[in-house]
Amino acid sequence: MYDSIVIEDRKKPTVTLVNKGFVSDTQSASRGKGMPGLRSIPTAIPCEASMMEDIEAGVDAAFDDIVTALTKPLTREEEAPRPKEAEKPTRIIFKGNLEEMIRFFYKRGWTDGLPVIPPTEEAVAEMLKGTDLPPDHLLGKLESRMGKATVEKIAVNAVMAGALPTYMPVLIAATKLLLESERGFMGFTTFGFSTGSWAPFWIINGPVRNEICVNNGSGALSPGNIANAAIGRAMGLIIKNIGGVRKGVEDMGVMGNPMKYSMVIAENEEESPWEPLHVEYGYSKEESTVTVSYPQSYLQHWPYGSDGEGILRSVVDNLPRSMRYTLIFTPTHAKNMAREGWTKEDIKEFICEFARMPGSRINRMPPIGTANPGPYGRKISIRDTDTVPTVRDPRFIRIIVAGGPGAFIAHVVGGGATPGMKQTQKIELPKDWDKLVKKHRDLVPTYAKY
Amino acid sequence: MSPNTTSASYEVLSPWAEADPMPFRGISPRLDALAGKKIGLLTNSKRAAAPTMQVLKRRLTEKFPSVEFTEFANLKPNEVITEHAGKDEFENWVKGVDAVISAFGD
Repeated sequence: MYDSIVIEDRKKPTVTLVNKGFVSDTQSASRGKGMPGLRSIPTAIPCEASMMEDIEAGVDAAFDDIVTALTKPLTREEEAPRPKEAEKPTRIIFKGNLEEMIRFFYKRGWTDGLPVIPPTEEAVAEMLKGTDLPPDHLLGKLESRMGKATVEKIAVNAVMAGALPTYMPVLIAATKLLLESERGFMGFTTFGFSTGSWAPFWIINGPVRNEICVNNGSGALSPGNIANAAIGRAMGLIIKNIGGVRKGVEDMGVMGNPMKYSMVIAENEEESPWEPLHVEYGYSKEESTVTVSYPQSYLQHWPYGSDGEGILRSVVDNLPRSMRYTLIFTPTHAKNMAREGWTKEDIKEFICEFARMPGSRINRMPPIGTANPGPYGRKISIRDTDTVPTVRDPRFIRIIVAGGPGAFIAHVVGGGATPGMKQTQKIELPKDWDKLVKKHRDLVPTYAKY
Repeated sequence: MSPNTTSASYEVLSPWAEADPMPFRGISPRLDALAGKKIGLLTNSKRAAAPTMQVLKRRLTEKFPSVEFTEFANLKPNEVITEHAGKDEFENWVKGVDAVISAFGD
């Protein structure tokens, strides 16, 4: 779609065939790029799932419209569209009772479907205690709407998500990660919008983990801990309300992904025998960071045994084909492997060498663009009898330690940054951090015995 | 929702970010007719894009035998064509066409 706009800018008429399910997305994209009159034809094709007979029928059905779109003279509005009226956002957007307020927000598409906490002046002011940055400080403009990511807007969405002021430093850092993400196929501009339903997965490292009580133990990725729940939820609202990425309009995920509600974990650095993820990425142990990837899928399995052989053989046997991987090992498994001399690098190399798939599987997959052309760019044919690595670069694998007692291993599988590109952001704390932590750190569930 | 939760009144801030309005611009004048023109066929990397164009090319040739075609594919998913290495080739291609039909295989 953006390429059609580029061509129109070069004074050449275009018409774009879009699947009818993408009409809203197309309109949003063309308006967002300043060309609301871009001519497109909604069709049953093209679609990744179309069969040839459907393509033939779809082209026949759209044929006259295609010709017309290239030859019918422009309307006055297409030639010189009326300027878009500047939004006049009111800071205070609504006044009413709780039910009315929740419905008002929901009907505007500003929530994730669950009730939200009212972002009152007082609640937002309290949230802003989590940063020394002024409320009008602009971090940047977030795709796709290029919405202004001010500190106050982050705080409003944080309140709605049920976040505590101590999460603000994490939310600001995580928003920076989105803003500074690489453009194109391996960044937020793909993973936030794609038909692949990628969900942001946030890994928190460093001292802040414990200060804000991010769960890294039993059920680390299950509901029930406010930090794990609210940080991911707030980021989902920030993507929607600041970036303007709405389900079925800009976010064209085919199946959707429950991980988009929230997927946040801390690494159990204290119980890990290895250096923490952020230290591996060049930060000091005393610094706190947030790291993002964009998984599609989450799978867990049991190992064949508790030693390196049993754990890692099961990992390679269960590893699905994808682009980026985060493996979560329990402290016990990590220690068992470390005792045998396994480093994180050894494990990654082992996976790259031993996780393999038949060449026939590669041969049946069409190349998806030059970003994913297949082994060796298909300059050499892969025989069906060959085996090829499932992961070709150890830097595509992250290893963290988390989870409770027991024997399960987790794979968080999907997309993420190109190695060397932005994937981790340092978390900056306000000067009154210790005081703020003291105020909020006791907010933990205390379960009744029964 | 219980009566107790609905009695209090809340004055709330908007979560929706401001955005600078993007100036709108018009699209290009259309062709007087397709006959005798050179039509560019632009596809992306998705599975149905290229076959769609091949069918369309056949249909257009049947109806407008004097139309010439030239094809271009932007195979870098989600990258605007002028933002990657294929830019010069693309610019030359655009210069040589009278109009473009795009099919994005999503």
